[in-house]
Amino acid sequence: MEIPFVVQPRKDTGLFNSKIAIWLFLASEVMLFGGFFSAYVFLRLGADYPWPERTLPVLPGLINTFILIGSSVTVVFAWASLKLGHWGRFKIFMGITVACAAIFMVFKGIEYNVKFHHQGVRLKDYTVIEGHLGYEKENGKPVLNHHGKKIEENQILIETSGLTYNTVRFHKPWIEEALTQAKHRGSKIFLSADVSAVTKPGQPAETIAKAGDELSVALLERVKTAHLAARAHNGKLRTSALRQEWKEAKAANPGKRDWQISSGVNIDTAALAPQLLTEIPSVAFKVDPPSRFDFKPRDIKHGETQSRLRDDTSVEGKLLDSPMVFHYVDAIDFRHLAMRAVKKGVDPIVAIENSWLIKNDQAAREAWEWNKLQTARLEKELLEQYGVDEKTGKPKREPTAKERYRIGWKELVAKADGVNRDQQKVTIKEEFMGPDYQGREGKHTFPHLSVPRNEIRFASKFTPAWNTYYAIYFTVTGLHGLHVIGGALVLAYYLFFGRKMYETNPEWLANRVEVAGLFWHFVDLVWIFAFPIFYLM
Amino acid sequence: MSAHSNDHHDDHHHNPGFLSKYVFSTDHKMIGIQYGITALLFLAFGFYLMMVMRWSIAYPHQPLPEWMSWIFTDNWKARWLQDGKVTGETYNMFGAMHGTIMVFLGIVPLGFGAFGNYVTPLQIGAPDMAFPRLNMMSYWIYLAGGLVMCASFFMESGAAKSGWTNYSPLAGFADGQIVNQWLAGQTQWLIGLVLLITSSLLGSVNFITTIINLRARGLTWMRMPFFVWAMLVTGFLLLLAFPPLEAAGIMQLMDRVVHSSFFMPSGLFTKSEGLADLSGGGSPLLFQHLFWFLGHPEVYVLLLPAFACVAEIIPVHTRKPLWGYKSMVYSVLVLGFLSFIVWAHHMYMTGMGPAVSTFFQTTTVLISVPSVVIITAMLISLWGGSIRFTPPMMWACAFIPMFGIGGLTGLPLAFNLADLHLHDTYYVIGHFHYVVAPGILFGFFAGILHWYPKITGRFMSPFLNQLHFWPSLICMNIIFFPMLLQGMAGFHRRWYNGGDAYLSKAADSTNVFGNTVAQYIDMNILMSMGAWTLAVAQIPFIINLFTSWKFGRKVTSDNPWNATTLEWATPTPPGHGNFEFEPAVYRGPYEYSRPDHAEDFIPQWEEPKRTDSSAPTKPSH
Amino acid sequence: MADTPEAVRKSIRTYLFVGAVLFVGTVLTVLVATVPALDIGHHGFDVWDAILGLAIASTKAALVAFIFMHLNHEKKAVYWIFGSGLIFVIALFALFALAKYDPIFDNFFYDPTGTAVKPMAL
Repeated sequence: MEIPFVVQPRKDTGLFNSKIAIWLFLASEVMLFGGFFSAYVFLRLGADYPWPERTLPVLPGLINTFILIGSSVTVVFAWASLKLGHWGRFKIFMGITVACAAIFMVFKGIEYNVKFHHQGVRLKDYTVIEGHLGYEKENGKPVLNHHGKKIEENQILIETSGLTYNTVRFHKPWIEEALTQAKHRGSKIFLSADVSAVTKPGQPAETIAKAGDELSVALLERVKTAHLAARAHNGKLRTSALRQEWKEAKAANPGKRDWQISSGVNIDTAALAPQLLTEIPSVAFKVDPPSRFDFKPRDIKHGETQSRLRDDTSVEGKLLDSPMVFHYVDAIDFRHLAMRAVKKGVDPIVAIENSWLIKNDQAAREAWEWNKLQTARLEKELLEQYGVDEKTGKPKREPTAKERYRIGWKELVAKADGVNRDQQKVTIKEEFMGPDYQGREGKHTFPHLSVPRNEIRFASKFTPAWNTYYAIYFTVTGLHGLHVIGGALVLAYYLFFGRKMYETNPEWLANRVEVAGLFWHFVDLVWIFAFPIFYLM
Repeated sequence: MSAHSNDHHDDHHHNPGFLSKYVFSTDHKMIGIQYGITALLFLAFGFYLMMVMRWSIAYPHQPLPEWMSWIFTDNWKARWLQDGKVTGETYNMFGAMHGTIMVFLGIVPLGFGAFGNYVTPLQIGAPDMAFPRLNMMSYWIYLAGGLVMCASFFMESGAAKSGWTNYSPLAGFADGQIVNQWLAGQTQWLIGLVLLITSSLLGSVNFITTIINLRARGLTWMRMPFFVWAMLVTGFLLLLAFPPLEAAGIMQLMDRVVHSSFFMPSGLFTKSEGLADLSGGGSPLLFQHLFWFLGHPEVYVLLLPAFACVAEIIPVHTRKPLWGYKSMVYSVLVLGFLSFIVWAHHMYMTGMGPAVSTFFQTTTVLISVPSVVIITAMLISLWGGSIRFTPPMMWACAFIPMFGIGGLTGLPLAFNLADLHLHDTYYVIGHFHYVVAPGILFGFFAGILHWYPKITGRFMSPFLNQLHFWPSLICMNIIFFPMLLQGMAGFHRRWYNGGDAYLSKAADSTNVFGNTVAQYIDMNILMSMGAWTLAVAQIPFIINLFTSWKFGRKVTSDNPWNATTLEWATPTPPGHGNFEFEPAVYRGPYEYSRPDHAEDFIPQWEEPKRTDSSAPTKPSH
Repeated sequence: MADTPEAVRKSIRTYLFVGAVLFVGTVLTVLVATVPALDIGHHGFDVWDAILGLAIASTKAALVAFIFMHLNHEKKAVYWIFGSGLIFVIALFALFALAKYDPIFDNFFYDPTGTAVKPMAL
C-alpha cells in the first residue's frame, strides 16, 4: 500500500500532503499564539497596576531579532539550493540556520537567567523595590542549605521549639532541610512522647515509636503506615455500622423519606469503640535546645507563636525579625503608589514622600530628590522644545510616569556618576546582563536596604510570578523558544541525515525542507510581533 | 513531518506480528477500533462516576452501597468517604471528572476518533489516512492524556475538583496544599488536557489533509457523503478552537506551578490560604473566554459526528435519498463558522456589558437555524421512505426527537434574560444531557450497529438490541426530563446532596412560584433509579458487542445494507490498504430508488452503462 | 512558479532584498520607540507608538508570509486554510476587546463628557 501525493502534488488541489498539513498546523498555531496575544491585550487593558512598559533591555531582543530574520533568509536559500541541486550550498545555508537558532537560544537563556536572579518586592504602601538579595552568612562564610546552596536573606526565621508533622502529608525534602538546620544549630529534633496505638482490634496498644526517638523520614513512614491501616479499618467498620443503622431505621419507619429520619440515624460509637484501631493523624516533635529555623516565605503561613507550613506541619516558636535584605537596590519604583494615590485623589508627590521607604531610608530619599530635579529639568526642556498646547494651556509634551516615578538602575548610575539622566556610561555587557554591581560598588551606586517583614505585601524574583506582564512575557517567549528548538531539531535532522534521501529522492527532501522552512518562517513571524510588543511597548 | 509511507511496499506479502497489527498499528481501521474501545471504556467509567453522584444526590445520608464502592480500596474509601457517605469534596471530584471524561475522553474520541478514523478514508476511497504514523501517535497521546487524568484519582490530592470547566481562581487554588504541584490532581488534569489537545490537533490535521487530498477519482466535493463533510467541519473546529484552550491550559499551569497570576485577581482571599501570596492583577474572566472559545465549538465537535452517523443511516434504511443534501452541507459549514462566535452565551452571568451580551445572544439564536435545517432535513428524509426498522434505524429514529428536545430546551438559555433565571440550574444539565446522552450517544449506537457488519463481517443481535434500546430510551427520559422541571424550580446544579440542606428551611426557600425544595426533592430518587436502571440496560449492548464478533449472523455480501457509499465497496473486513480495485466515483452519495433503475440503489462506484441517461461526466481528479 | 529551478534562481534577489527590508524595518521600529525626537504623539509610549510599531511589524510579517512563505502564488486550498485561521483569530481579538470594553457601559469608545479614565492612563 502506498499513500498517494506524498511527493508529487495532486492535480486538482496542486498540493502534496505535507504542505496541506503544515498549513493546517500553522493555522492552529496562529490560533495558539492568537490566544496568547489576545490574553496579553486582555491583561494589559485590564491591569490594575501600572503596566511595566519598555522595561526589558532592548539590545538582546534586537540582536535576537536580527539573528532570527537572518536565519529566515538562510533557510530560504537552503531550500533554493536544494531545488537547484547544490548539496554543498544547502549544507552551508542550513548550517547557518541551525547555528542561528542555537545562538538565539543562548541569548534567550542569558536574558532569562538575569531575570531569575533579580528580586522585586512590593511594599504595603505599593512602593516597589528591585535589586539583589544578600546571602545569609555566619563568620563571613555563607550558610548552605541541605542542597548545598547559599540561602538568600529572605527567610522567615522562627525560634523553633516544636514541630508537629501531619502523618499523611509531610513533605520529605522539608524534613531533610529541618534536620540539616537542626544539625547546623546543634539542636536535636526528637519525639516528645511515645507514639502508641492499637494496631490489631481488641488488643492493647503497642508502641510504634518511643519518646526521644529522633526525627527521620523512616519514622514518619512507619507511623503513616499504621495510621493509614487504622483509618482504612475504622472506615470500613463505621460504614457497615452505618449501613446497619439505616436498615433498622428504614424498617422502623416505613414510608418515611430519608430526610425525615436521617437526624435519628447515627453510628453507636460506644459499641464500636473496642473494635477500632488508633488513628495517628499527627506526630509532635520537640526541638531541644530551641533554635532558629529558616523557612522560605512561600512555604509558610507565619504567626507570632505558631506557624504552619504548606504540608500542614505546625511550627511552634517565636517569630524572629525576618527582614528581606537587599545587598544592592537597583530600582525604586513609585508608579504603583502614585497610581493608587491618584485614584484616591491624593497628590502622588505627597503620597510618595510619606511612604515608608522615603521616611526610613536616607539613600532612597537622596535618589528621590535627585530624580525630582531631573524630572523638573526634563519638563523644562520639553516645554522649550515643543511649547504649549493652545487649546488646553498645558505643555504639549510632559515627562512620562516612568520618568517621574521610577528610579531605575541607569538613573542610579547617572546619579552616582554625577551626570544627568541618559548621559551615564553603560557598557555593552551591562546592557545585556544588567548592572555590574561589584564594579560600581566603589561609587556606592546601589544602596543597601533592609525591609522589615511586615512592610512586605508581595515579593518574588523576576519570574512569571512577579506580575502579569512578566507572566505573559515568559510564557510567550518560552513557548516561542520551544518552537525554535523544535524547528531547529527538524532542520538539523535534514542537515545531518538528509544526504541519503538527497541521493534517492531529492524532490521529496526538497518538499520536506520547504515544509520545515514554512514552520521556521512562522516562528520568525511570531517573533516579529513578540519583539515590539514585549520589548518596545 | 511527512510519514515514511514508502517503507510499506511489501504489506501484502508479510504478516505483521501481533503488536504491530493490534497495538502499534498504523492502519486507520485498527486505530479507529482502538479509539472506539478505549472511548467506550472511558464512557463506562464516566457513567460509573455519575452513578455514585446520583447516589449522593438521592440518598445523601446513607453510605454508598457495596455494589457501587467495591472497586475502591478500603484506604481510598477511608480518605474520600465519610463513614461511607459521599462528601462534598468527593462529589465535586467525581462531578469534574465525569464531565471531563465524558466530553474529552469519551464522546470526542468515539465520534471523531473511532467513527471518523474507520469510516472517513473508506468513504472517500483512500488507502489510509494521509499520515498513518501521525494517526497512531494521536491515539497514543490521547490514551496517555486520559490515563494521566484518571491516575490522579489515586493521588493524595485526588483528581481535579473544580468542574470540567476548571474555572479560575478556584482551579488555581485547588490542591494548593500539595507541595509538589506536579503531583496534584488539578495539575494532572491540565497536563492531561494539554496531551489531549495535542492529540486532537494531530488528528484534525490528518483528517483534513486526508479529505482534501486523498479523495478517490471522481469524488468531487458535492459528491462527498454528508459524513465526510461533517468530519471535515469537525476537523476544522478541533484545529482552530482547541489552541486557545491550550493557551489557557498552559497559562493555568503557570499559575499553579510557578505562581503567576494570569487568572488571579488582586486581593484574593481564601479560607484556606488567607490573603493569596500572589501578585494579582490577572483576570478570571480571561480564562472563561479562552475556555469557552473552545467550549462552544466543542459542543459541535461532539454533535457533528452523531449527525454524520444518522445522516448516513437514514437514507440506507429508508431507501430514499437524503432530503436536501446541499442545504445540509451548507448548513454544516455555516454551523461550523457560527460556532466560533457564540461562546460568551456561557458567560451571561459574568457581568459582561449589554452590547456584547446582545451580540452573543444574536449569534446564538442564529446558530439554531443551521442545526434546525439539518435536523429537519433528516426528518423529511423519513417522509415517504420505505423505512426498515433495522437495529441502527431504531436508534437513528430515536435520535431525532431526543436531540430535538435537547436543542429546543437550549433556546431559553440563549436569551440572556431567561438565562438569568436558568443559569447553573438543573435545567442546563437537563438541556445538554438531552443533547449528549440520548442525542449524540444514540447516534453513535446507531453508527456502531450500522458499520459493525463491515468491521467484523457479522450483524449484531437484533434481540439483544431490543433489550438495549427500549430500556435506554425510557430511562434516558426518566433521568433527564425531571431535571428540566427541577431546574425551572431553581435547583442548583452543584448541590452534592440534591437540595437536602434546604429542607430544614423550607419556608425560607420558596421560589418565585411559592414552591419549596420538598416538592421537587423526591424526583432525585426517581432520576437516580433511572440512572442505575440505565446502567443495567447497557449490559445487553456489551454482551452484544463482544459475542456478535464471534457468533453473530454472518453477512452474505460486502454490502449487506445495499448502501451506496464507498465503504461498502471494500472486502469485509477491509484489508490493509482498503480497496481491491482503484475506486472511482461516478455519482452522488445517495442514489436510492431511482425510477429509471431496476435495483433500488446505485452505488457511487458502479460504472454507468452507456445507455444510462444519468451518466455523469468522466471521473477525473 | 517558484517550483522550477529557473524560477527559484530568479527569486533569489527578491529574497535578499526582502531580508534587507526586514533588517531595516527592525532598526526603524527600535528607533521610533527609543528616540524621543521621533515621537509622533506624546512624549513616551502612547497609542501612536503602538500603532506605528504594530504597523511596521505587520508589514514585516506580510513580507515574510508573501515572499518567504510563497503566499504570493499559492494554491487555493492554502488560502482557505490559513484564511480560516486568520478570520477566527481576528474574531478572538475583536470579541475580547468588545467583552472588555462594552460600548454601552464603558466610555472607552464613546466618551461625550470626557470624564472616563482611560485604561492606558496611569
